[in-house]
Amino acid sequence: MSLNKKITKEYYNDILKNNVSLAEGVIKQSAENYIKNNDFPTTKDENWRKTNLTNLLKHQFSCAKKVNFEEQTLSAFNISGLKANILVFVNGYFYQEYSKIIEKNNSLQIESICRIKEKNPEIFEKYFNKTNIENANIFTAFNTAYAQDGAFVYIPKNKIVKNSIHIYNFTDGNTQKTISQVRNLFIAEENSEAKIIQSFHSLSINYTLSNIVTEIFLEQNSKINFNTFQGEGDDAHQINNIQVVQKRNSSFSNNIATLCGSLVRNDLGVKIDGEGCETDLNGLYLPDREQHIDNTIFVQHLKPHSYSNQLYRGIIDNKASSVFFGKVLVGEGAVKTFAEQNNNTVLLTKYAKSHSKPQLEIYNDDVKCSHGSTTGQLDKDALFYMQTRGIGEKRAKILLLNAFAAEVLDKIKIDTYKNYLKFLIDKRMTGEKISGHCYKMGECRVY
Amino acid sequence: MIKIKNLHASIEGKEILKGINLEIKPGEVHAIMGPNGSGKSTLASVLAGRDIYEVNSGEVEFDGKNLLELKTEIRAREGLFLAFQYPVEIPGVTITNFIKSAVEEQRKHRGLEQLTAAKFLKMMKEKKALVEMEAKLNNRAVNAGFSGGEKKKNEVFQMAMLDPKFAILDETDSGLDIDALRIVANGVNKLKNGNNAFLVITHYQRLLDYIVPDFVHILYDGKIVKTGTKELALELEDKGYNWIKK
Ligand SMILES: Nc1ncnc2c1ncn2[C@@H]1O[C@H](COP(=O)(O)OP(=O)(O)OP(=O)(O)O)[C@@H](O)[C@H]1O
Ligand SMILES: [Mg+2]
Repeated sequence: MSLNKKITKEYYNDILKNNVSLAEGVIKQSAENYIKNNDFPTTKDENWRKTNLTNLLKHQFSCAKKVNFEEQTLSAFNISGLKANILVFVNGYFYQEYSKIIEKNNSLQIESICRIKEKNPEIFEKYFNKTNIENANIFTAFNTAYAQDGAFVYIPKNKIVKNSIHIYNFTDGNTQKTISQVRNLFIAEENSEAKIIQSFHSLSINYTLSNIVTEIFLEQNSKINFNTFQGEGDDAHQINNIQVVQKRNSSFSNNIATLCGSLVRNDLGVKIDGEGCETDLNGLYLPDREQHIDNTIFVQHLKPHSYSNQLYRGIIDNKASSVFFGKVLVGEGAVKTFAEQNNNTVLLTKYAKSHSKPQLEIYNDDVKCSHGSTTGQLDKDALFYMQTRGIGEKRAKILLLNAFAAEVLDKIKIDTYKNYLKFLIDKRMTGEKISGHCYKMGECRVY
Repeated sequence: MIKIKNLHASIEGKEILKGINLEIKPGEVHAIMGPNGSGKSTLASVLAGRDIYEVNSGEVEFDGKNLLELKTEIRAREGLFLAFQYPVEIPGVTITNFIKSAVEEQRKHRGLEQLTAAKFLKMMKEKKALVEMEAKLNNRAVNAGFSGGEKKKNEVFQMAMLDPKFAILDETDSGLDIDALRIVANGVNKLKNGNNAFLVITHYQRLLDYIVPDFVHILYDGKIVKTGTKELALELEDKGYNWIKK
């Protein structure tokens, strides 16, 4: 097939539909209906104006298969010093032999979603696809209709999970261009608390597409700290849809770090469906070469007295580009809402591009909202000042960039993970090669 | 130490320095005074290597080297220091991290062994004490949210840490209260050792009571129009600049 021909949704439907899927009955039908009636988004769609899928849709992906995976590969991607409950997925398949749950508690579940569906269908059915995410876009529809596995976390009432939960996701397109679908479901019951890290890595240089959907439910007074590390290869594509629902007095914090990836689209939706919630959304992205990273966020304040914050920062190198589209909707009844949005990007070359659009839609008068966005080069006065102290230009730039990134990184609540990121980012900036972690990352251009 | 010969410099096509001649020998303190906009800070920036200025002609010899050929950071490592009239805020970079990077790079350039963490911290403490700078500033970002006086003290602190051969102080006295002025001046005096030299830019004669200059120059419209001893500063205080301008 010629590389210029667009791969159709019918093609995707054909290759994916044979999977044993999680969804059944009405849910599956609804997703299939969505696929029938809709197509891949184009730049004419409001939410996709600055993210063009044309190149992605030229690749003829085939369904990812279960591959051989070795323990030593896993240890190469290990976050040093982190003591965690571990789940491992490769190409969307669960590898139980490498998964390790150190926190034993009868009703705490850290599992593959597929196994939960068998073991505990009640809880699965209570929450699975309850955000109706299949109707969000064609990717969520494909995922809902045909995804077969993913991570499942259930934190019972009053349980505070002490050790982090680290979910590894590897993609391996060694033999062919592959698509894998991952479906996650996280539930925090009343007064419970957990910290989750989800990391994405490539095991090959071939083209891959990961289509991930994550639903997160926070019941009253619960807390979830959700960290995403995206360090896939230069030819890896990722479409990542996350939908969060927050009940009264719950607190959700999100930290997403995107260090690499050909095309990465993160759609994060948070529905604040209870009073007194806190929602703290942070992101850092460092695209290089011709990479494109898109963070599209939609926070809905539906109940009074809640606070939401968005702080997204990007360092855009070479001919890379980024999108920040952050929307906050404050409903009629959501009085005393306090919402902040900030997006700052540094463009390191004249070819680098950043699109930023913080947006507020407010339907009552009793709110406090602010948004800000800056895009620019590194501060020349600051660079000169540093140089007059004898600090070389490159080192001065790295100091400034690290300081810029630190505002986001310092919000990370898991110290070992924060240090891991700082280490990787520092290596990336100084151009030192490191193996593993982020495929080819060491070859990214020195800032 | 430094020899400036017929230096012409411009910004955006506008000539600001119109033929500066100045020689400063080791152990000397020179003061430059002059009306606003006469080019004092421009001279300082050109010597430090700010690239927005274009040097149209002239030469600067610094410690036997052609200064104008060197990059800003090399000039600094060779021992040139500029205390800014308007110190720059650097959000997110702590003073400790900042000055540590600077000291490391300068020592490396000069072929000196790197300081141990303990020695470095001890040195920081000493130099802070010299300008009576509060220790709690160490972990604050460079100049971010500092008061005018704190910024100026921070400049002198950095100078003390880097121990330059030749330091230019651009209106380091402006915005300082009487006590701070004395502290800063004392700091400078303690650094004087007979081998280094200072160029002090100021509007006020009173600074020169503390830092006694060997020579006072009046810069006007991009040229040094008069040179004298510290009495010249007193005369200026008395008469203003009009008699120079005619
Ligand atoms: N970026 C610029 N573009 C155009 N003109 C400039 C620029 N920077 C400085 N100048 C001009 O150069 C001249 C000299 O400025 P400079 O800052 O050197 O004066 P100064 O003697 O230090 O004055 P002050 O005593 O007020 O500090 C001024 O007329 C100023 O307006
Ligand atoms: Mg000036």
